[in-house]
Amino acid sequence: MANTKEIQDRMKSIKDTLKITNAMYMISSSKLKKSKKALEATEPYFYTLQSTMSRILRHLPDLDDIFFRHTEDISLEERRVGYIVVTADKGLAGAYNHNVLKLAEEHLNNCPNSKLFVLGELGRHYFEQRNINIDQQFHYTVQNPTLNRARNISETVLDLYMENELDEVYIVYTKMVNAIQTETEFLQLLPLKKADFEVPSLPGGIPVEEIQFRPSAKVVMDQIVPDYVVGFVYGALVESYSSEQNSRMMAMEAATKSAKDMLHELGILYNRARQTAITQEITEVIAGAKSQKNKK
Amino acid sequence: MSSFYLRVIAANRVFYGGLCRSVVIPDMDGEKEILAHHEDLVIAMMDGEMRFQEEGSAEWKHAVVGRGFAQIAHNRVTVLVETAESPEEIDIARAREAKERAEEQLRQKQSIQEYYHSSASLARAMTRLKVTSKYL
Repeated sequence: MANTKEIQDRMKSIKDTLKITNAMYMISSSKLKKSKKALEATEPYFYTLQSTMSRILRHLPDLDDIFFRHTEDISLEERRVGYIVVTADKGLAGAYNHNVLKLAEEHLNNCPNSKLFVLGELGRHYFEQRNINIDQQFHYTVQNPTLNRARNISETVLDLYMENELDEVYIVYTKMVNAIQTETEFLQLLPLKKADFEVPSLPGGIPVEEIQFRPSAKVVMDQIVPDYVVGFVYGALVESYSSEQNSRMMAMEAATKSAKDMLHELGILYNRARQTAITQEITEVIAGAKSQKNKK
Repeated sequence: MSSFYLRVIAANRVFYGGLCRSVVIPDMDGEKEILAHHEDLVIAMMDGEMRFQEEGSAEWKHAVVGRGFAQIAHNRVTVLVETAESPEEIDIARAREAKERAEEQLRQKQSIQEYYHSSASLARAMTRLKVTSKYL
């Protein structure tokens, strides 16, 4: 059995770690509160944007537009794909980063000709270590997302897309499903796919409505698609930031709890070891006294 | 008087939701007014000033909006913009600073992208200042 000193040292180090995890828990829970507020404010915009866009696309006449490029006929090996990958700046957030990176890597393996736009220090290190080519000039933090940052990010990607240096653009981010559950999402940003928004077959007799575009469908789409991308990136950033804080809070909560459990078990072990030591000492004293008595 | 349902949603909040008689939005080539029972339409919007008249009131309410678009469907108008502020909410000092900063940047040699950035922020600052000076 380990001696009391060893157990005490162990308990002390666990207590120190416990202090850290507890503090991190507190920090991330207060950050989560803030980011949840931002998320709540953004959600109407984010969801309306998606539903409106799908509605528009459903009613859009066939357009010969850069945003509706057909990329199916380009083989996977030759397709130039851009990925926006939203990770965290720091680890210790449970499986949050791992899930994003795993999903991104899965798709990377399919398309060798890809370009990565990684948000967050952790993701950047991950891909650098694996010698995967990432855009070095693309340096943004994921803390406290702002619209301005979303605008810059989308501009970089849109420029490359418009100059025909990228065929497709995807985004990998983490979505808050509900208050406690998060889910990693993989979505195609560009080109817009009309097939994604297939009209469910209408019951007979209902006329298919039509939407007009002013000044023209092409001009309207050219104007609103960049805005759509900015809005989408912003929404994704807010969702990811919230998810990150949520995962970190849960991971830290679990760590604090298991540290407490360990301390409890070690406490019992410590008491037992101490008791053994005392018992042994008493036995020794008694044995000594007995032998003295016998000498007389 | 017939009315329609207007929703103005900015990226960081729902700016307005309610019944309106009329709304005027900044279009690509001027302004466009939308009344009740307008045909289904999608309009691209520019930075600028938006105004709307609530049901049962003759008073115009004003707002400064960023880029975005408006969708009209079944007598409902949804305006999706990056930013939306009422004149009372605008920080005049900040807008003035932004304007000066943009003007200074425009005087310097810049890349095309920087030029677009500066002129866009100049336009935003100018609209903010114009609306506040008009209605406050």
